[in-house]
Amino acid sequence: MSESTHLGSQLVNLCSVLLLLSCFAVVAQRRLSACVDLFALQSFFLATTAALVAFLTGHRHIYLAAALTVVVKVIVLPRILRKVIERLNVSRELVMNINIPAGLLICGGLVVVAFFITQPIIPLGYLLTRDSLAIALAIILIGFFTMIARKKAVTQMVGFLVMENGVFLGTTAAAYGMPLIVELGVFFDVLVAGLIAGIYTHRLQDAFDSVDTSELTALKE
Amino acid sequence: MTDVSGIESPMWPVIVLLAGPVLAGLLSLVIRRARVLHAVNLTTMLALGVAETVLTRRVLAEGSVTTLGTLVYVDALSDFILIIITAIGLSCSLYMWSYMDEQVARGVIAPKHLGAFFFLFHMFLFAMVAATMANSLGVQWVAVEGTTLATTFLIAFFRRRESLEAGWKYLILCSVGIALALFGVVLTYYSSVRVLGDASSALNVTELIGVADRLDPNVLKLAFLFILVGYGTKVGLVPMHTWLPDAYTEAPAPIAAMLAGVLETVAVYTLLRSKAIVDQALPSEFTGNLLLVFGFVSFMVASLFILLQHNYKRLFAYSSIEHMGLAMIGFGVGGLVGTFGGLFHLLNHALAKALAFFVAGNIHRRHDTLEIDGVRGLAKSQPVTAVATLIAAFALVGLPPFSPFVSELLVVSALSAQNFASDTMHVGRFVALTISDEMRSVGLVAVFLLFGVVLFGGMMSKIGSMVWGSPREGVARGESWTVGHVPLLVMVAALIGLGFALPEPVRMLLTRAVTVIVQR
Repeated sequence: MSESTHLGSQLVNLCSVLLLLSCFAVVAQRRLSACVDLFALQSFFLATTAALVAFLTGHRHIYLAAALTVVVKVIVLPRILRKVIERLNVSRELVMNINIPAGLLICGGLVVVAFFITQPIIPLGYLLTRDSLAIALAIILIGFFTMIARKKAVTQMVGFLVMENGVFLGTTAAAYGMPLIVELGVFFDVLVAGLIAGIYTHRLQDAFDSVDTSELTALKE
Repeated sequence: MTDVSGIESPMWPVIVLLAGPVLAGLLSLVIRRARVLHAVNLTTMLALGVAETVLTRRVLAEGSVTTLGTLVYVDALSDFILIIITAIGLSCSLYMWSYMDEQVARGVIAPKHLGAFFFLFHMFLFAMVAATMANSLGVQWVAVEGTTLATTFLIAFFRRRESLEAGWKYLILCSVGIALALFGVVLTYYSSVRVLGDASSALNVTELIGVADRLDPNVLKLAFLFILVGYGTKVGLVPMHTWLPDAYTEAPAPIAAMLAGVLETVAVYTLLRSKAIVDQALPSEFTGNLLLVFGFVSFMVASLFILLQHNYKRLFAYSSIEHMGLAMIGFGVGGLVGTFGGLFHLLNHALAKALAFFVAGNIHRRHDTLEIDGVRGLAKSQPVTAVATLIAAFALVGLPPFSPFVSELLVVSALSAQNFASDTMHVGRFVALTISDEMRSVGLVAVFLLFGVVLFGGMMSKIGSMVWGSPREGVARGESWTVGHVPLLVMVAALIGLGFALPEPVRMLLTRAVTVIVQR
């Protein structure tokens, strides 16, 4: 392994780890606006990772994906979510399905599980981004967990976006990005999903006077 | 696999199928008058029907059509799904003519929202057609997520508290599911890009099928698990089904018919595409057993839940889960008979379930309640709807002479005749059942029939209580014919007709579609 590849691989790993850490920060954060800020920060790390991979491998189209990440996930989506939060009558999430210390422990377990599951397929990967695949799966699982643990519509949306970030890290790490048309389609879908969730919180607020999804109990067996 | 003639000869049917809904959707946003909206909608659906007929002839003659660069790939399997989309879509459009007008007249929907309804409906249609025609698994994913985004507001269209709740639940659960499926697609790409090298086409079905046996089995195993859980959420397999009964209950009747009849079918199709690829790299027992387990669990759980329902739309929703479980059992057993039965069952279920939700819409409009106990004496108040309700129920529990009986019989006979290659049935690496072959087949068939009986009892007693007796006070008697009754007649005719004979083109299409899934 040449010296520059080694350094590059270290940098990519560092960025991936920062992504993972910001996941934990989301799990530990009660303030809604801080959750959104952390998501924006995580997306920024993601864009950095993608740009780094693009620089080190010479795959130009990853730069485009990185730029789109900055526009959609660092600027537009957080702005929509902040607008939504401004309209709400709560800024902190006090009651959760699973409390924060337990949540953090579970997330630690999820990281171990992610590394365990990806063990057999990791050696196939590119040298540069090998371990990022395991980290990507860990981020997906933690995003999934956030959606289960939280009750507010906004934090559930952040959980979904964190999952999406994990998948994106996975594409960059595993295959140096997907075909362009797929990449664009995914960004479009995520953006529309964010908009729709924004409209929903608006309507839920009007109909229920709350965006606490645990109030959504009209439909039961 | 790629045939050159497909690129040279005209591809207008493909263009019509893709551009038609988009155009109609955009037009719906500017048109104000309800009559014109319906006219645009019906014209589009008729055009789609014609285009689909022409495309089917092409597919039957040439085997497969690749066009628009390599973006679109239609073979017998996807063409069969397209037939279901256009047929159910057309009957929904006819039904909507009377249904939506009545809702507007009653003030349930503001007239200005009608345009938005048709816009979303056509976007939904476009996303499904795109998902079925897409050559690339990635584009297919984008389109399937598109169906979620288009339908969530359709489910919440009445804007009541319950419908908002159902729409939100649907959006969140399906988005999570689909994010997992995307990771599965990424893993497929991870394995294929290594073999194919060319990054831009490494997700194309046409490319993947050729090299599938050289893909890394471990990666594909993991990929299929993610895809199964992800798209399985859209199909509504237990335990990822919790959004489904709420969504079907709250959605307007024609939308519920589309969700149950068509969207589930498209979701199953996406699973079958992945299965066809994974089966080449791994022994087909891997995907087969997974589908079998999910199928059986869905079938059994849904049969039991049917006994507990007080709401007839929920009853039909659980019946959908049960039928999807049944189709999964067919695909899980695999082989020619099982796969044929499963595919045929998709068509029959689409017809029967669309009919069921149409009559549910008729009953709801007359009786103003979704409670089974609130509805009595349909035979006297709405004779035509009553007959259609009975036929839908007979078809859904699998009675002859209706066509679901035939496909269920195929699935059961495939199940009883199956031979597992190995002595042990591995489900993942955690559960292993070791029983002799005969015992296992007989046991599975016995369980299947037992729950079939449970289902029969539950469904018939509930529907029977709605049809017979005398209507409540204040419910108008008599039923006049409307445009909305035409699809009821067509569905009933189709359910009976397909029970006796399968038209030759459909049979050929089905047989070829089977060979797409079962390569050996």
